[in-house]
Amino acid sequence: MSSSIRILASEENGIVSVKVIIPHPNESGTRKNEQGFVVPAYFVREGSVTINGDSLFVIELGPSVSKDPFLQFRFTGKKGDVLKVVFLDNHGGLFEAETIVQQSQREFPKFQPSNSVCLNYYN
Amino acid sequence: MKRRQFLAVSTIFSTFLLIKPVKLLAEWSAKNFQQCSIDQAFMNALGTREIVTSDTITIRVPSVATDSSTVPVEVYSSLKGDQLYLFVEKNFVPLVFKCSLQGNAIPWFSLNIKMKESSALYAVVREGGKFFMASVHVEISSQAC
Repeated sequence: MSSSIRILASEENGIVSVKVIIPHPNESGTRKNEQGFVVPAYFVREGSVTINGDSLFVIELGPSVSKDPFLQFRFTGKKGDVLKVVFLDNHGGLFEAETIVQQSQREFPKFQPSNSVCLNYYN
Repeated sequence: MKRRQFLAVSTIFSTFLLIKPVKLLAEWSAKNFQQCSIDQAFMNALGTREIVTSDTITIRVPSVATDSSTVPVEVYSSLKGDQLYLFVEKNFVPLVFKCSLQGNAIPWFSLNIKMKESSALYAVVREGGKFFMASVHVEISSQAC
């Protein structure tokens, strides 16, 4: 149906952290609208993730996931791995996305010895 | 005539092909995700109610959630589990997700969930056919479900 999944995968020290956002109303089927009618259930209910064609995990989701499901997961991998996610909702809508694992862009502040005198207040 | 017959037959066949459902990925089971009590949900999903409490599972969640429609939950286990579950005790459908891990997956998951009211959260990990569990209580300060 739609392939506007947002996906981000970054590797740091051999561990890849992945963030996935699926734009979806995710109605649980128990909420009532302003007229008092129950809004029919419409939610993402299953997904599978593969790395370089090998299955990483399969997930079954219930109706108590928030609107626009935001899933984060981790696995041991390296930069350049091809990550593919497929999600399916209860109306048969298919959401797919593919990405390549990147090196983490996060920069750590480097330790710089300062020249200032460290005062010892406990004397 | 023959061409018309062929067209009719081919349209019928093509509609059948279109109606055929999309291939299931995880064989979503409606039994696991039915509206029931937490005990019944444990029975349906795990087949047992006696689960060992373990400190190898960590649930990170705000102790007081301001918005019940998006509660960020982070589940981590140092066990090399092959299945991971998350339950919310007082939701209509207690099971939030069931995850079957393979290969290089690390039992670390984070997901935004909905909560009906203040309740306990249970994370269950299966390792070697045995179930381990951790629980945490979350207070909801304003209802937005």
